[in-house]
Amino acid sequence: MKKTISYLLILVMLVTLFTGCGAQKDPAEPAATPGSSEPTGDKILHLRKTSSLQSTDWEATTNTTDMQVVWVQVFEGLYTIDEAKGGYQNCLAEKIDVSEDGKIYTVTLVDAKFQNGDQMKASDVVFSYNRAMQNSRFNYVTSMIDKIEAKDDKTVVFTLKYPYSAISHTFWSIKISSEREVTEAGDSFGTTPHTAGTGPYYISEYDVASGLKLKAFEDYWRGPANIKDVEYRIISEDAAAVIAFENGELDYMSDAPLAEWDSLKVSSGENNSLTKGNNIRFLGINYLSPTNNNILGNKAVREAIFYAINRDNVNIAATEGLGDPAYEYMPHEYVATSPSYLDGNFELYEYNLEKAKQILKDAGFTDADIAAGIDVGTLTTYGAGTGEKAKQAQVIQANLAEIGIKCEVYVAEAAQITPRLYSQDYDLCIFGDSGNYDFNNIRQQVHSESTGMYVVKYADPNSPLDYKKIESLVDQGVATDDVAKRLEIYTELWAMVMDSATILPLVHLPVGIVWSDELDPGGLCPTYYHIYNFKWVE
Amino acid sequence: MYRYVFKRLLFLIPTILGVTLIIYAVMSITPGDPGRSMLGTSAPQADVDAYNEALGYNLPFFQKYLNYLIKMIFHQDFGISYFTKLPVFQEIWPRFLVTIKLAFFGIILSTLVGVPFGIYAAVKQYSAFDTITSLVAFFMAAFPAFVLGLMFLYIFALKLNLLPSYGIATFAHYIMPAMAISIPPAAQNMRFTKSSMLEAIRQDYVRTARAKGAPERTVIWKHTLRNALLPVVTQIGLNLGMLIAGAVVVERIFSIPGIGSLIVDRISYKDEPVIIAGTILISITFTIVMLIVDILYAYIDPRIRAKYAKLKG
Repeated sequence: MKKTISYLLILVMLVTLFTGCGAQKDPAEPAATPGSSEPTGDKILHLRKTSSLQSTDWEATTNTTDMQVVWVQVFEGLYTIDEAKGGYQNCLAEKIDVSEDGKIYTVTLVDAKFQNGDQMKASDVVFSYNRAMQNSRFNYVTSMIDKIEAKDDKTVVFTLKYPYSAISHTFWSIKISSEREVTEAGDSFGTTPHTAGTGPYYISEYDVASGLKLKAFEDYWRGPANIKDVEYRIISEDAAAVIAFENGELDYMSDAPLAEWDSLKVSSGENNSLTKGNNIRFLGINYLSPTNNNILGNKAVREAIFYAINRDNVNIAATEGLGDPAYEYMPHEYVATSPSYLDGNFELYEYNLEKAKQILKDAGFTDADIAAGIDVGTLTTYGAGTGEKAKQAQVIQANLAEIGIKCEVYVAEAAQITPRLYSQDYDLCIFGDSGNYDFNNIRQQVHSESTGMYVVKYADPNSPLDYKKIESLVDQGVATDDVAKRLEIYTELWAMVMDSATILPLVHLPVGIVWSDELDPGGLCPTYYHIYNFKWVE
Repeated sequence: MYRYVFKRLLFLIPTILGVTLIIYAVMSITPGDPGRSMLGTSAPQADVDAYNEALGYNLPFFQKYLNYLIKMIFHQDFGISYFTKLPVFQEIWPRFLVTIKLAFFGIILSTLVGVPFGIYAAVKQYSAFDTITSLVAFFMAAFPAFVLGLMFLYIFALKLNLLPSYGIATFAHYIMPAMAISIPPAAQNMRFTKSSMLEAIRQDYVRTARAKGAPERTVIWKHTLRNALLPVVTQIGLNLGMLIAGAVVVERIFSIPGIGSLIVDRISYKDEPVIIAGTILISITFTIVMLIVDILYAYIDPRIRAKYAKLKG
């Protein structure tokens, strides 16, 4: 009897386990969505996401892969970014008139509806901006706004504290959400699917455990999207993602793993693209570091370090040689106001071992010092998981050894390292900056008001440059909307930074995109792709 | 027997307290704070400080630890994820069930394969079967699960197109991960069962049973196996604990939303509530599994039952 009961129990356990493996559907379906269609049996577009979505609220998404979904497919701003053409374009703003003093922007809105069926009004724009202005994360794009008013349902008036020509970035960064829906949801907004955006898709399923599904918004103001159903598959491992793509389980993959690029090129036939990304790695030097009697305070040492770095080697280590050596803070192809290295207006620190050695000798370092190794402390970086920056650190360590400079390499998770970089608790570091579309963003890196955001602290009595002038140039740069004038100002600014030998651009990370034969992805965008432009090949 | 179970249950309390204390201590000494993680690099330091203050992050270590324990024990509140703002329990529970399911599949497979093969190899020592299975087990025990996972993905998903490479939607999705996770412990089980059986076979009571003319089947199943099973059960219990805690690699390769991969993901964001709650859940499960193993011990070994019966008497 005991045996029979035991066998029965085991059987019940097994059946429970196996039946529990059935497909699970997130119960959190959005409320009825006027104008949206139910599943039509259309083919589902499968995309990769490397991690689960942090939030369905655009304000609460902090990484690019989340923004690719929430900022582009679900919500929209007054402007959008067109990476393919390199610039901002009108989106929810039909037209924008600027006053002569450059302080008043009058925005006329397009005729758009939210996914919940409500008409988008000027009051929603005012609400969205006010909400963002209360969020510290968006200080950098809202601090210049004095007030926003709804003139009528279709017109919003922005009054700025001072002329600010980089406002385009604000118009792109701040998304418009439905005041009614956000207010009704209260603090829980962002934790469940919603219909508070005006974008071409709304989130139909959001489960932190199993993924994310989107559905086309049939009343989208530009007309409904071609592809009706989208499913994001959470695949962290690159190798697994490559197999999923080659197995036909993914239709489109942006940020394709570079280590597998050759294999992906073969399997995708002609359906691949490798472009220079808006994502640059830099070497930062903390000239204030007390290590070895403040050796990094010596400009000659910093210059020698820069000349000793072989960017081609760094590129091979970081991107399998698929990227490009970097000489700019932002790629000029993406940012019209970014000084281009091709113009020859600033120091590039091209790889030159002999020059590096000579600088050290001229600075008084003897052959004995060099033979013993000049200790500059630790080269710190983050992203232990991907290892891309760690590889660059090893290459730089080897490069420096060639001129008699020694450093240790320390790699840990970003959460541990970035606070140290922002408080200048390091000697040398490798850091990244991406997604810049206006050179004014360099304010974060050079302005004393950006404490906690910059890696090198320029506003200091021992500063290697005239930081007050730098800050003045930042302010001048946004005081005019003349692109040529801004370019001139920013060229002077960047030349000063490069002359201080504190930040060295290393490499542009490339963006690999592959897609299936059945998909036409429209114009390719390296970062913020628009599923709206996708269609199935007939 | 109840006394025994009760005593073992009591051990759960210091274990869980110890685990929470260690995790809290480890998280406290690592740099970084949730305010900066949540508000981003562009937020002013004053706002970051205010955010941390509101979360109670700046409280003294023991006060923070005590608050956490009180909330966890009396309100079953594990806090809110710094990363998603969702209640932690809502985040970890579905993922925990996925990992448990995967681990159970793994343990069932590894036991169903490893134990019978081990018994047969011991009974047929020095036979071709013994040699081959021992060799295979030797290799398989040395194979890391992630290598097996990638191999299976390549063969069954990419080349043969038999199984899906991603997710957990159907039973078919579980086959490859369960195989990847179960093969190394199956090999260990096989080797363990074999050596345990061989040891038992050489005991006097087995010789006595044979001398008394007991049929070989009875000798193996009744006298040898029952005694040989004790260490094997411990090994299986340990394996289950290891599979739950160590499923992260397989979870990542097969894109399975389990608790291991969740914890690893959130370490990058220093999402303390999720990391702590996830680790506690794994620890409790491990402790319960070991409790079940101990109870099984008593079920298998009459000496333990007799000991507690005597104490009761």
